[in-house]
Amino acid sequence: MVFKDTMHIGNLEQFEGTDVTPGEISKRKDFLQFRDADIERLLEIRQFSQEHVESIVEEFYHHLLSFPDTKEFFRDPRVLARVKKAQIDYFNQLTAGNYSDDYVRGRLKIGRVHQNIGLSFDTYLGAYRRYLESFFLRLFDAYRSEPEKAVNSFLSMLKLVFLDISLAMDSYLRTIRLQTEAIRELATPVLQVRQGLLISPIIGLIDTQRARQLTESILRSIREQRAKVVVIDITGVPLVDSKVANHLVQTVEAARLMGAMVILTGISPEIAQTLVVLGVNLSTVRTVGDLQGGLEEAERYLGYRLVKDDKATPFQS
Amino acid sequence: MQEIRIPICSDTDIVAARKLGREMGTKLGFSSSELTLIATAISEIARNMVTYAHDGVISFAAVGTTNKRGLLIVAEDKGPGIADLSLALQDGYSTSKSLGLGLPGAKRLMDEFEIDSKPGVGTVIKMIKWNRRQ
Repeated sequence: MVFKDTMHIGNLEQFEGTDVTPGEISKRKDFLQFRDADIERLLEIRQFSQEHVESIVEEFYHHLLSFPDTKEFFRDPRVLARVKKAQIDYFNQLTAGNYSDDYVRGRLKIGRVHQNIGLSFDTYLGAYRRYLESFFLRLFDAYRSEPEKAVNSFLSMLKLVFLDISLAMDSYLRTIRLQTEAIRELATPVLQVRQGLLISPIIGLIDTQRARQLTESILRSIREQRAKVVVIDITGVPLVDSKVANHLVQTVEAARLMGAMVILTGISPEIAQTLVVLGVNLSTVRTVGDLQGGLEEAERYLGYRLVKDDKATPFQS
Repeated sequence: MQEIRIPICSDTDIVAARKLGREMGTKLGFSSSELTLIATAISEIARNMVTYAHDGVISFAAVGTTNKRGLLIVAEDKGPGIADLSLALQDGYSTSKSLGLGLPGAKRLMDEFEIDSKPGVGTVIKMIKWNRRQ
């Protein structure tokens, strides 16, 4: 049964510039067991928090400024003053009782800011730990007569802090995802050489996702450019195992169904030997030793004839 | 050379395992085409691991006798296991629409190949490539 394990994932509209949806946030809060009682406990220590926030922030920046890597971020005293103020605002928000969409938006934005200034995630985590220590010590001191209350408030605070950390992490992960996608796009170009003739030079490792993308972009280009021949060059591919070979065979087959022939070029001696031992059947694939040979074969097939003009003047710079 | 273990649970790990296999192979003096054979065999068994068992561990060690040296690769997982080993070692047999060359291919790429699998318990593959030039 498909429907048995299917859950509602809530509102799918993402927070601007992120992959995070409000539905995802409520799921996270659920899993963190962040409930109304926690909000109340945080509100109860609001006054305490406001009284101590400035000394906590002082300690926090004293810590950051005592390490060269983090000190680097605050060379400009105006920047330091500004981030101190922002930090006070943030710590105050932790006990302000409102943790809905606006709060989430703010946290996600901070993650992006960290990303933009090049603050690493481990620095962020390390700094956060420093804050929790200052906060925890003061809280236990203030509630010496009610240690249980101090513990409970601190535990509620931890739930919120973990939510915030997860939101900051989303920003980091999103950047990595976007970069990976950008590299993938760049890594599988399909270019038109002449009317009806495409080439696709592949460089680097082919994993499952890249193979799928390669197949897609080749088939799309065949349709768009009305191509008759595609030369796929794998000179730059260090390894072809049975799965990658299978992807190549399937791409060739799908291209054939669309009326285009694929010529595979650039199989190195090592890969040729490996494919034979492995037992991969590439007999349905037309192969030519190198890219030049592949292009010549494709041009012959398309009826082009390349003629050298002996009277041509060499290019002068 | 010490034994090196690498956990396998994604495509990225497969790439890392191949790289490690090549590095170890280079230290043992294998030729470039032998290194490609080894890396491909690793790729095949690591892919099987990710596809069927979802995760496992591959370990590498230098082994040898007085007159030859080789690379021992051990792949262990606690996946569903293989019900019929002789079928799984046949060319073209696959339960996942692949070419069905993973196990038989890896066996041909390496010099020694031993597989032990129990349904519901897991699979252990041991394989060795000998360096013939010594």
